[in-house]
Amino acid sequence: MKFWKFIPIVALTLLSSCKDSLTIDDLENRTVASGYYNSSQRVEQAVIGGYVNLRRALLANYAWVMYGEARTGDLNVAVNYQQAVANQQLTVDQRNVKQLTDWGYFYDVIKDANDVLDIVNKADAGVLNTYHRNLYKGEALALKSMAYFYLARIWGEVPSAEKNNFGLRLTIQESVTQAATWATEAQGLLPWLHINDDGIESYALTAVRFNKTAISSLLAQEELWLGKSQNAYDMLNKTFTVTTRDSISNFGLSVGVDRRTEIPKLPLDESIVSMPLDRFNEIYPAGDGRRQMFNVSTSDKKATLITQNADIMELLPARELNLLFAEAAWRSGRLEEGKTYLVKAAVGAKEDYTALTEATFADALLQERRRMLVGGGQRVFDLIRFGKVSTYIPVFTESDVQKGAAYWPLSANSLKNNSLSQNSYWLSKN
Amino acid sequence: MELLPKCIWKTMFLFLVFLGISKVHAQDTLVVDSVVLSNRSGLENVLQGNIAGLRIKSWSGTPGAQSIINLRGLNLDPTDQSTMPLIMINGVPIISSPSNVTGINPLSYFSSDQIERVEVIKEIDLLAKYGVLAANGALNIIMKEGKTGAIHVRGSAFGGANFLQDMDHQKDAFYNFNTSGRRAVYGNGGIVNEQNIVVDGGGDFGSYLFGLTNYQDKGTIKGSGFGRQSLFLNAKYNISKEFSVHFFNNLALANRNGRYAGEFNRDLLLPVVNDESFFMNKNRNIGLVSSMALNYQFSPKFKISSVAGLSYEGASRDMYVPSNVLDGNIYAASAAYKRQLLTVNTSLNYLHDFSDALKLDMTIGNELRNTDNRLTSVDGKRSLENGGSNYVKVVTGYNASQTNAFSDHEMEKLFSFYGIWKFKYKEDMTVNMVLRTDGSSFYEKKWALYPALGIHYDLKNSLKIPVKVNASIGKTGILNKPEIYRGQLEGYGDYFGGNELGIGLLYPAFQDAKSINVYQFDAGVAVDINRSMNFSVNYFNKIYKDFIYQRYLPNINGIDYQYEMGGSLGLSGFEFNLDGKWINKRDFSWSSNLNIAAYKNKVRTMPADINNTNLVHLSTLTEGDALTSLVAYQGKQLKIIGNSEPKAFGGISNTLRYKNISASMTLTYAWGADVSAESFTSKYYADNVGNDFPLKNGESPYYTTSTDANGRTIYQGIRQVEDGSFIRLNKVAVSYNFGSMFKRMASISDVVVFVRGDNLLTLSKYSGVNPEENIAGIRKSDLSFTGTPLSSSVVLGLKLVF
Repeated sequence: MKFWKFIPIVALTLLSSCKDSLTIDDLENRTVASGYYNSSQRVEQAVIGGYVNLRRALLANYAWVMYGEARTGDLNVAVNYQQAVANQQLTVDQRNVKQLTDWGYFYDVIKDANDVLDIVNKADAGVLNTYHRNLYKGEALALKSMAYFYLARIWGEVPSAEKNNFGLRLTIQESVTQAATWATEAQGLLPWLHINDDGIESYALTAVRFNKTAISSLLAQEELWLGKSQNAYDMLNKTFTVTTRDSISNFGLSVGVDRRTEIPKLPLDESIVSMPLDRFNEIYPAGDGRRQMFNVSTSDKKATLITQNADIMELLPARELNLLFAEAAWRSGRLEEGKTYLVKAAVGAKEDYTALTEATFADALLQERRRMLVGGGQRVFDLIRFGKVSTYIPVFTESDVQKGAAYWPLSANSLKNNSLSQNSYWLSKN
Repeated sequence: MELLPKCIWKTMFLFLVFLGISKVHAQDTLVVDSVVLSNRSGLENVLQGNIAGLRIKSWSGTPGAQSIINLRGLNLDPTDQSTMPLIMINGVPIISSPSNVTGINPLSYFSSDQIERVEVIKEIDLLAKYGVLAANGALNIIMKEGKTGAIHVRGSAFGGANFLQDMDHQKDAFYNFNTSGRRAVYGNGGIVNEQNIVVDGGGDFGSYLFGLTNYQDKGTIKGSGFGRQSLFLNAKYNISKEFSVHFFNNLALANRNGRYAGEFNRDLLLPVVNDESFFMNKNRNIGLVSSMALNYQFSPKFKISSVAGLSYEGASRDMYVPSNVLDGNIYAASAAYKRQLLTVNTSLNYLHDFSDALKLDMTIGNELRNTDNRLTSVDGKRSLENGGSNYVKVVTGYNASQTNAFSDHEMEKLFSFYGIWKFKYKEDMTVNMVLRTDGSSFYEKKWALYPALGIHYDLKNSLKIPVKVNASIGKTGILNKPEIYRGQLEGYGDYFGGNELGIGLLYPAFQDAKSINVYQFDAGVAVDINRSMNFSVNYFNKIYKDFIYQRYLPNINGIDYQYEMGGSLGLSGFEFNLDGKWINKRDFSWSSNLNIAAYKNKVRTMPADINNTNLVHLSTLTEGDALTSLVAYQGKQLKIIGNSEPKAFGGISNTLRYKNISASMTLTYAWGADVSAESFTSKYYADNVGNDFPLKNGESPYYTTSTDANGRTIYQGIRQVEDGSFIRLNKVAVSYNFGSMFKRMASISDVVVFVRGDNLLTLSKYSGVNPEENIAGIRKSDLSFTGTPLSSSVVLGLKLVF
């Protein structure tokens, strides 16, 4: 047999070496390079990933309350680092405090939201119908808006994690302005009520996912923070009408099992979070109906919050709406209307709010927010917005506040490999 | 194939294919019957000390565990399995590293009696044929085949006992950890025995060999032990004059029962009480290697062959720690790991004579390699409740909220082409040219090209001196681990009542991933001093490039790190081998082998800004430092305190025969390895000692740091950096051959009785029991990466041939 006869065989073998014919099938694994998000359920998993990240950002180390009432001493958290936080020793060399100064989880939320937006944009009609497309896009925008809003309120100036200006330092105004833009877009996309897998409107599901009520509350908060009270007033009035009253929902974090063990399953557990009794009596004087929100133990000298629903950690409760209406009305020059909303909101208050004046309205509103929203982590943000930080955190002088004392110091991780720097207050504490 | 445009590549390949030549022969071959076998299971124990450059580190005395096998191997993580050589049976790649589930050594699935010889492939012009699979050398195990004759029956058996010599519990690495409990589980006299029976024959039809084996080793830890039973067949059948088939099959069942005491690191849930007698750790493996080779000889010059091979291992483990061990808690776990490796290798071989002087032997072929590994595990914990037996509690412990379940699946496909051209000029010179290309399902950039060239020259004819010289140069690669570049979505946590799982991006797919490049240069000289003595010296230099590592990202990225490629390592060394047949008379003979290897590994370059990568532990090392350096803090300064790899290692063997008595022994040695012995007592939380490591009398000033689950920094003191040099009487055997005595009995043709000992003596300054008891040069205080004491054993055996 002649050797040349085998040339065709060899040539055939070699021709089969074309890259195309050798491309090996996609592996049945978790590869994200392409092809994973091929159904509405899978896209939804990614959306839920954003909520899980938000839960981590707010619940790890009891962060939401450390950034809020634990810092002002309204609430005690039975962990060894609470005292450092309450004493404003935020640069102390303590592991949990250091973690609290790290904003990593909030940027995880942003990354996740941006991924979802990419996924939704790329998904074709076979994967997502219009309802789901709007829903997931709206949720991603809302999560991103909320994450930036928290970042700006906790740390002040923060870097952008958006593709077009990654790493660029944003002023508080810039952060919240873009957060409000996303919230406005999300408001147009999110439904009042979520539909569950059975195709039925579900209040349970709505309460743990961004919905029209929640995004409107968030947007109102952001507009008020930016000083655009007229916008907030208009938006609230346009959104909440008589016809939409039945669709109003709370919004909170679903509390459940997390792969990360440091995330508390019962964040407001009475054995952990409590209010000192004297503080309790000061905030809720005898006769105030809101004392019913607590279990009071005189022997332990503390009051603990009664948890209505252990599955949910409320972030944007519906009861805040009237407070937001009141603030938007008052700040946009409608004192009388503001008072009406405040009276409506403050169910159980002994005070006569109908007699409030332009000079006394702010204090009353701030106090009602403190009473009604206790445990929600907004206290310090409110103090900043109302310009009352040095009043309620007397360790800080007004000059300290001007230097940035109300904001948290940046962690070592946040300062590494970039142009960020500690604000002048915390720089002086290092 | 991204290196060159497709058409050019094809033209070049075709050109080379038709230029080309021949089968490459392995350079070193160890005939198994010519060396002392081992009482321990695992082929590596037979090879230990007998091959220059093959380092076998006996890190554990646990029966069924695999010793560390390294043949000019290096990787960024020195304990990584990818430093292992490729291991083949009759040229078919097998699963050779133990599974993490059972830790049973796949090289113990067959008896040493089944093996004819082991080919050791180290030089690049011989390795390049295996491409990305064999950057760290290759061992090809050739199984015995049937010998001519209608039928032969061979039986062999041995039995004996393990013992720990002068076991000083204070020297044991496990000392100070539940000492009384551990002492109670060490015991002398654990039985070790093996029985083999082999039937073979051969003729014009081909040949056959089949048999079965049984091996049991109870070790020195009471209640533990290893066992293996195997059935095998090795048959060749000549279907026609041109067409032949070769079948090989080895099916093994292996089991290993473990004990908590003596085998597990002390991080396993404390406190421990009693002697931990009721601790269940049952490991069961099934190992199958099966291959079928078809050969068709078209003409005297032209042959085609195709080899299909299947290597499968099913490993399962059941573990239960009762409440009397865990002080009120029980723990149960079950895991199964199934691995399969399928290979098909087809090649064409063509011989061509250009002239009487110049000949060409050419092979071209392709290889398909498919791996598919599946892991399933479940474990659960439960605190003690009243009532019921321990066993019942385990069962009730398995419920949804207390159980972790896991299942994962890994697939990998590799498609390769290779060409080997062997030019032979007279008897003097051989030139090997090899070209291989590997396409992997792992990578976006799928193809890698591996060329090699080697020249072997025998000076006997031209210069009239009995010297052979060789030199070769080429390139191979190492597959980077799949988890490194695929990207991963991570399940985050249950959501709302535990029924929806959030998914987040742990890290994105690394699309620029490719295999590690390995460049190798070899040079050697072999001298036949006279008929009874020869030696060889070989030099090699390998450069490893482009490892994948993690770069930590600023914390605004939303993901912790991304992957990059870079870094470069070097490994070079000399190997010396001397064989002597000093006396070779009718009644008396004496032969020896001495081999020594001196290796040096070093860091060539490390990624820039290494402190922001997962290679931060290597940040102290600068160019020229050994990768295997032991690094620790002294004060606040990180410094190099030793090197875990020996400066030199090897073996010395002697075989003496007087009439019917013969005696053989193999000494193994390693010189210059340092062992960092961690202190059992100086371990502190950094915040408890003011972030200053407190010095302790009688201990070194060195310490390492780690972080516990709560993020607290731990200082671990190092008692001392010890010299791990040793010389060991690794294997010794005395046998008596009754050959002539039974000649009158027609049915028996040969009878041999032998006594054999393993690890009978170790000379070392090391303070512990076994200077090699660590995996990476550190005797850990928590006993992780630290082995059980290496036992000695003596057996009495018999071989019969009918």
